[in-house]
Amino acid sequence: MLGFAGVSALLAYLMTILSSVFCIVYGLVMWNKDK
Amino acid sequence: MNVPLFSIIVVIYLLVIGFLGYLGFRRTKTTRDFMVAGRDIHPYVMALSYGATFISTSAIVGFGGAAGVLGMGLLWLTFLNIAVGIAIAFIFFGKRTRQMGVKLEAHTFPEFLGRRYDSKFIQVLGGVVIFAFMPIYTGVVLIGAARFIESTLNINFVLALAIFSIIIAAYVIAGGLKGVMYTDALQGTIMFIGMAVLMVLTYKALGGIVPAHQALTDLASKVPESLTAGGHLGWTTMPAMGSPIWWKLVSTIILGVGIGVLAQPQLVVRFMTVKSNKELNRAVLIGGIFILAMTGVAFVVGALTNVYFFNNTGNIAIAEAGGNTDLIIPTYINMAMPSWFVYIFMLTLLAAAMSTISSQFHALGTAFSRDMLRVGTAVSERDEKTGSGKGLLITKIGVIIGIILSVLLGYYLPISIIALGTALFFGVCAAVFLPMYVLGLYWKRTSKAAAISGMVVGLVASIFWMFFVHSETAKVLLVVNALFGKESLLGYPWNAIHPILIAFPLAFIVTIIVTLFTRPVKQEIIDKCFS
Repeated sequence: MLGFAGVSALLAYLMTILSSVFCIVYGLVMWNKDK
Repeated sequence: MNVPLFSIIVVIYLLVIGFLGYLGFRRTKTTRDFMVAGRDIHPYVMALSYGATFISTSAIVGFGGAAGVLGMGLLWLTFLNIAVGIAIAFIFFGKRTRQMGVKLEAHTFPEFLGRRYDSKFIQVLGGVVIFAFMPIYTGVVLIGAARFIESTLNINFVLALAIFSIIIAAYVIAGGLKGVMYTDALQGTIMFIGMAVLMVLTYKALGGIVPAHQALTDLASKVPESLTAGGHLGWTTMPAMGSPIWWKLVSTIILGVGIGVLAQPQLVVRFMTVKSNKELNRAVLIGGIFILAMTGVAFVVGALTNVYFFNNTGNIAIAEAGGNTDLIIPTYINMAMPSWFVYIFMLTLLAAAMSTISSQFHALGTAFSRDMLRVGTAVSERDEKTGSGKGLLITKIGVIIGIILSVLLGYYLPISIIALGTALFFGVCAAVFLPMYVLGLYWKRTSKAAAISGMVVGLVASIFWMFFVHSETAKVLLVVNALFGKESLLGYPWNAIHPILIAFPLAFIVTIIVTLFTRPVKQEIIDKCFS
């Protein structure tokens, strides 16, 4: 999938992007919160 | 590359840096301004300063080159850089550090720990550890940067080292942490643009995202036998589990993240530069995107260089770079990228080095004056008069001494010790600071005696293991050989285990056990910290 040979490296690629997405979502949800 | 043109670009860049340093100078009137940037920094500046300080040229060129050999599996490190280095750090460490830091009026990381545990000893020893170990880490980045300037601008190495150190020293000393963070924000912006463009150009040159990955997968048969024998299965899959290459990848990742990143004094202090948790929440968003663009891009591009080189010269990346992983990324940039991008990338590397070094110089200065000598610690922020002359002067002297030490160490120590410098510093910080830091943030019960015990055990265990057991470091540091005539006092597997994996858990356990047998710190401090 996505041109990768192995799931393990594909997972690393996707998790990297997902962790960044998490940071974006977290920041947006908490943008005006002082918690 | 057109050297005169690049020189002009660098001069313009330095003028802007100089202006930002001057802005920092104009806005620095008190100890609070110099050490914690007035506790009033914009989240964009804080996030980019944190990220740019964290990422130096070695992350882009060194680890990027490693990805050229080991493949996309190295992206697990990027995942941890973001998940641990940004998300966990900011959300679970940063917010509490900021809140407690304001209440304790802490201006440095050792001061934060010293006041949390009501211990001058912790602050002083913390300062000593930073002042003793950070110069070698700083020296590593400095020498790398000077070598880079030497080769791109054709300037003599010693002259490059001197000019570079003086320029950075100038805006650190004049502008304090504000000057450092404003310049970091510009440098981080340049780094972000450089790496984002690199990613786009690379995928474009290789025909798109999926075709590029597929081409890399199809190259698996070209992995040299020396690597396949070690378990390498191709650049888009992890190596065979348990194989030597798998261990090399996993230990590079674990140690590369270094839980040490959570206890880096020059990073922790940045949590205390913003005015509320709202800023930290915003910084999480910015930081998460930034780190993705740094090591995320460096590792994907590093791995994909194999496709580019194979298509153009028939060589895989490591062969094209003559066996030197540090040359993979530079060779790729020079060969594959349009010439206008080469200038941007060179500026990116310069920015990466300067942002890391300026923060190190600042941390050295504050460790010297505030932590070791405890200058100004008796005066509260409210009572401090503007232009606190003596305190700031001593800090500036500390910066100068730290710089001189770093330059001398970087210049005179053998290359083998320089190579260990970063790992040594990260490892010692983790063992010495992290147990009492995390326990201090979350466990009211942690006692002063426990914190001190953990700190001392962490330090002694790190030094002992580095000098006498871990053969990779011990044989370079030479003491064990001089005293005992061998490479390590212990056999396999002990001599292959990195000091951080011994000293950190030991320090953590000792801190917990001693807490159970001793009284917690004064109730008024607990109330102040945890209210």
